[in-house]
Amino acid sequence: MSTRTRLLGGALVAFLALTGPARADTISFADAVSTLANDCGSDIKKFCKGLNLGSGRIQNCLEAHAAKVSPTCTSTLASVTTSIEQRLAAQSSFTAICKHYVAQFCSGVVGEGNILSCLNKATRVNEGQCGQAITDAGWR
Amino acid sequence: MKSFRLATMFTAGLLLAPGHPFAQELSGQQVVRTLDRLQGGAPGIDLALLMEEAAASAGKGVAALPDWQKLSKLSQLMVEIDFENDSIAIEPKSYRTVGMIADALHHPNLRRYKFLVVGHTSSTGDAKHNLDLSQKRANAITEALSTTFAIAPDRLFAIGVGEEWPVDPSNPQAADNRRVQLVNLGLVK
Repeated sequence: MSTRTRLLGGALVAFLALTGPARADTISFADAVSTLANDCGSDIKKFCKGLNLGSGRIQNCLEAHAAKVSPTCTSTLASVTTSIEQRLAAQSSFTAICKHYVAQFCSGVVGEGNILSCLNKATRVNEGQCGQAITDAGWR
Repeated sequence: MKSFRLATMFTAGLLLAPGHPFAQELSGQQVVRTLDRLQGGAPGIDLALLMEEAAASAGKGVAALPDWQKLSKLSQLMVEIDFENDSIAIEPKSYRTVGMIADALHHPNLRRYKFLVVGHTSSTGDAKHNLDLSQKRANAITEALSTTFAIAPDRLFAIGVGEEWPVDPSNPQAADNRRVQLVNLGLVK
C-alpha cells in the first residue's frame, strides 16, 4: 500500500468516524441516576416527597410539576431516561447483533459471561456494530 | 466468613461514598466479582419460611435460626441505602447505589442468577413496625430494580428482617445495622 493510499484510507476512517450516526455513548445506570439525584434531588424532595424511584413515579411526578421544576432537572430527566433506554436496548440486542462474531471467534464457548470475555479479546469485534453494542451495554 | 462479609460491606460503603471517583470507577467490577461466587450451588432457601420465622421472632432476633444462617453462607454484598424517615421513598443520594446494583445484575456474569434483597433496620423504634417497614423497603428496592432498570422480576425476591439480624449485635441501635443485603440465590430455573 502506498503512503498516499494509506493517508487516504486514514482520512476515510476519520471521516466515517466523525460523520457516523450522531449518538452519545450510554452511561452506566449508576451514573445516570447519580446525575438525576444531583440535578433533580432538591425538586424531588420538594415536589415528590414519599414517592419512589420505581414504576416511573419520580419521572411522572417531575413531569406533572414541570412548570415549577428547574430547567436543568427537566433536561437531565430526559437525557437520563434516554440513556437508560439505550443501554437496556443495547443489552437486549447483544446476542442477536454479535451472533456472527460469536460463531466466528467464540464457537464452543459456553455461558454469556464467558462469551463476552471472548468477544472482548477479539480485536476485530471492536470495529462493527457488535463492538458498539458491547460498549453501549456497558460491558467493557 | 463473618469477617469477609464485614469487609465486603465496609468496602462497598467506601466505594459508594460520594466524591470518591477512583473508588467508584472500581465499584462495578468489584460488585460483579463479589456476587459471582457460587460455591457448590445455593442451598434451598424457603422464602415463606424465612418470613414466617422473622415474624415469629420480632424483638427476639433470627441470627441463631438455622434457616437464616443458611443465607450467610451465600455470595453477598451489603450496601447502605437511605430512605426518607418512616417511608419507602429512597433518598436521592442513594439512587447511585440502586443504579450500581442494577449495573451489576445486568452484567453477563450475573444475568443467570436470582437474588434476594434483604432489608435491615437498627433497633430504634418498635420491633414489629421495623419488620414491616423493612419488608416494604425491600419491596421498594426490588420494584425500582425491576421497573426503572428492567431486571426480570423472576430474578428478584424481597424480604425484610427488621432489627432481628444486626450486623453489630453488641450495639443494635447503631446506624450500621440499617443496611440492605443482596444475596445470590443461584441459577434462575
